[in-house]
Amino acid sequence: MDLGASAATTPPPATGPGAAGPPAIEVRGMHKSFGETRALRGVDFTAFSGEIHAIVGENGSGKSTMAKIISGIFGPDSGTARIFGEEIGNPIEASRAGVATVFQEVLVAETATVAENVFMGMRSEKGTRRSRSWKRERAGELMSDLVGHEIDPDEIVEDLPLAVRQWVTIARAIAREPRVVVFDESTAALDLDGAARLYAEMQRLRDGGACVLVVTHRIAELTSFADRATVLRDGKTVGVVEGAEITLDRLLEMMSGVAPSEDAVRAPAARAVERSAPVLTASAVQVQPAFAPSDLELYPGEIIGFAGLDGQGQSEFIQALTGVAPFASGSVQVHGDTEEPRSIHTLEDAIGARALYISGDRRREGIFTNLSIFENFAMPIYKDEQDFGIIRRRSIMNKFREQSERLSLRAGASTNLITSLSGGNQQKVIIGRVLAQNPRVVALNDPARGVDIRTKRELYQQLDTLAASGAGVVYLSTEIDELVGLCHRVAVFRDGALFTWLEGEQITSDRILGAMFGHLETDFQIEEIMESTHAAEN
Amino acid sequence: MQQKTKFTRFTERSGYAGSAWLLMVVLLIIAGVRAPYLFTGSGIGGFIVNTTPLILVAMAMTVTALVGSNVDLSAGALMIFVNVSLVKFLFDQSIGAPWIVVLLAIGIGVAVQVIQVVIMTVVRIEPIIVTLAAFLALSGLNLVILSRPQGRAPNWLGAWGAGRDIFGPMTLLVIVVIVAWFLFTRTGLFTRIKLVGANERTAFVSGVPVFRTRLVAHVISGVLIGLAGLAYTGFIASGNPTQSATYTLAAVTALVLGGTSLAGGAGGMLGTVPGAIAVSLISFTLSTFPLGLLASFVTQFAYGLILVLALTLGVLVRGIVVRKKRSAVA
Repeated sequence: MDLGASAATTPPPATGPGAAGPPAIEVRGMHKSFGETRALRGVDFTAFSGEIHAIVGENGSGKSTMAKIISGIFGPDSGTARIFGEEIGNPIEASRAGVATVFQEVLVAETATVAENVFMGMRSEKGTRRSRSWKRERAGELMSDLVGHEIDPDEIVEDLPLAVRQWVTIARAIAREPRVVVFDESTAALDLDGAARLYAEMQRLRDGGACVLVVTHRIAELTSFADRATVLRDGKTVGVVEGAEITLDRLLEMMSGVAPSEDAVRAPAARAVERSAPVLTASAVQVQPAFAPSDLELYPGEIIGFAGLDGQGQSEFIQALTGVAPFASGSVQVHGDTEEPRSIHTLEDAIGARALYISGDRRREGIFTNLSIFENFAMPIYKDEQDFGIIRRRSIMNKFREQSERLSLRAGASTNLITSLSGGNQQKVIIGRVLAQNPRVVALNDPARGVDIRTKRELYQQLDTLAASGAGVVYLSTEIDELVGLCHRVAVFRDGALFTWLEGEQITSDRILGAMFGHLETDFQIEEIMESTHAAEN
Repeated sequence: MQQKTKFTRFTERSGYAGSAWLLMVVLLIIAGVRAPYLFTGSGIGGFIVNTTPLILVAMAMTVTALVGSNVDLSAGALMIFVNVSLVKFLFDQSIGAPWIVVLLAIGIGVAVQVIQVVIMTVVRIEPIIVTLAAFLALSGLNLVILSRPQGRAPNWLGAWGAGRDIFGPMTLLVIVVIVAWFLFTRTGLFTRIKLVGANERTAFVSGVPVFRTRLVAHVISGVLIGLAGLAYTGFIASGNPTQSATYTLAAVTALVLGGTSLAGGAGGMLGTVPGAIAVSLISFTLSTFPLGLLASFVTQFAYGLILVLALTLGVLVRGIVVRKKRSAVA
């Protein structure tokens, strides 16, 4: 590549190893341990300005640790991480070097406003100090652009839905006009449409000359827009792929170290379901008075998928089914084999009827972060495992062993903190404790959020086994692809109510996506829908 | 989503202070009925002199609560520490020059608060444990320095306690501090204090200098406690080592009544100041009843009862507002 001479007349080529100046990110021989856990054991990679560079790997491969080192949150044990040639010691230095990071956890100051959150920690050079009203206006613009509808910059972040809070953290990064942007699993809280908008934003940042580093395990989406990908496995770099080489199979193979085999994915949806006596019925349920009523019948052995754009009522509905959230009107009933059907109004009703809820928002609704793995498992089980008020510890321990074997839980001592586990293994503990209660109905609210592909497949197997034994499963996902092959029927939600059902052959990504946008026909292209919605927003 | 008017915005953001204002007004009416002389020049002047130390201590607690250092249990003891130190080390040595007195008062307040914040952030001990330890240590130390109420403040400071008019030096002090605070809330530094208090980790990863921000908050708190000690010395015109717990508890009551979150990041002086006035009015009103020796017990009982009632009311009102908001959205 021609250097120097051409750089004087034309802008220097932004991509490729020949670009002028030091690379945006240069990581060499990176090692990092947390106590016993060796998160990074020799990571090397280089990312340049003007490219979207993906760091991929299974959970526990060390990719989030890498993102945090680049952002100055952790210092390395050995090795170097340089941003434009300079080493980074803390978040303030990282910010000065032009790094802005969107973290996996939705990090917001809950009691502060949107504008305060967006401009948090941003220091302005002398002479460019911005007034408060300028910041409010800019935050409002930025957020409205990103979210797709108007967001009040004075709104307290606590009052906003999770997806909008995630956009706040994204706006915080973009407001800094960064030279290096790190997205660490940033699509986790976003729905499909939101993720598409974020990818467009990433491309805009790249075209503006920034280095965009994407840390993700959502590799299916990645293949379409990443320029290069560095693959990590067990804390080491296993390879770099570029351009057209970035394919799902290739990445999966590199991530897991084994070639993907077709028989690994057995489709639960292929198992036939006899629809005679439902295990759960919902009739004329309105999650809020203003929304249309929805009906649902769930049969033993069936897996029903819930889909919809963010905030279309599917999340409220799945919570209503299990008494987690109240609903405005209608009735939900769980039917036993012999006894009378039980109405579900409260969480207590639901637990009594063994209709159990699993949240994908593990940190807020799933785990007790300061308790051990075993205590987290035993939490809902204690009350049924007592002799005269004394807990039957051994019996619970046996259940724990049984479930952890069944779910192939990868954990150290059961007395370790739950937070010592990866996200996928935390979710297994939660699922294990639900399975240990012999559920009749299990409602999962986006359980695979932040979980790697291997753990996901294990989860599907478990749900299939559970359903085959006569339970009903409701599975809400923000990733459409998850529902295909898993669900017997898919309920698509729009405007706070059930919009349409898809069944059997109809369950394809395209059909679900179309229905989410209100299309019932099959003859359309996803790109068209995406374009038309973007045009409508702009 | 439509833009909200300035008024709804204000009521939303200041809603936390509602209970305190309401309670203050109710108590003002009751106190006025029980003792009409409260609303005379000297009545108001005397009340202000009486209440200023509490207002300042409660304000100091608000700053540290905002930055996420939880409830500062040491504040009352530190104010008394300033008081007895002034008496023992200055007045008993016949030193009374205003600048030395003010400097020492503020210096002691700031020094103790800085030591505490360093222990919280560098040694990483829970704030509430640090301030509890400081409360115990200072309460004891106060009695070592001055074994019983004694000493005499210099005339200029003693005159602060006269409170014959509405506009005395004490009134001026309170107004200056409150105005300075509201100017301060318009700075980026104040926003950082709130952000660190709301979520320290988020603030850290976003590049907010967390230690420096907490240090500043505690320095401001130290200045306020120094001024409170000064005001208290003026009020009683002497030294009194026995009031550490009384002031700490009264100030915590004022803080909580004022709606400031003990978890950090939310609340402010708009609630604390009427909260402190309300607390002071409770004991004022009770003093109009012939309770004799029971007075101090009844006062504490009333603090507790009113605190629970006011907060319950606040929660109920907020519940109604939220429900209204929800149905408005739907």
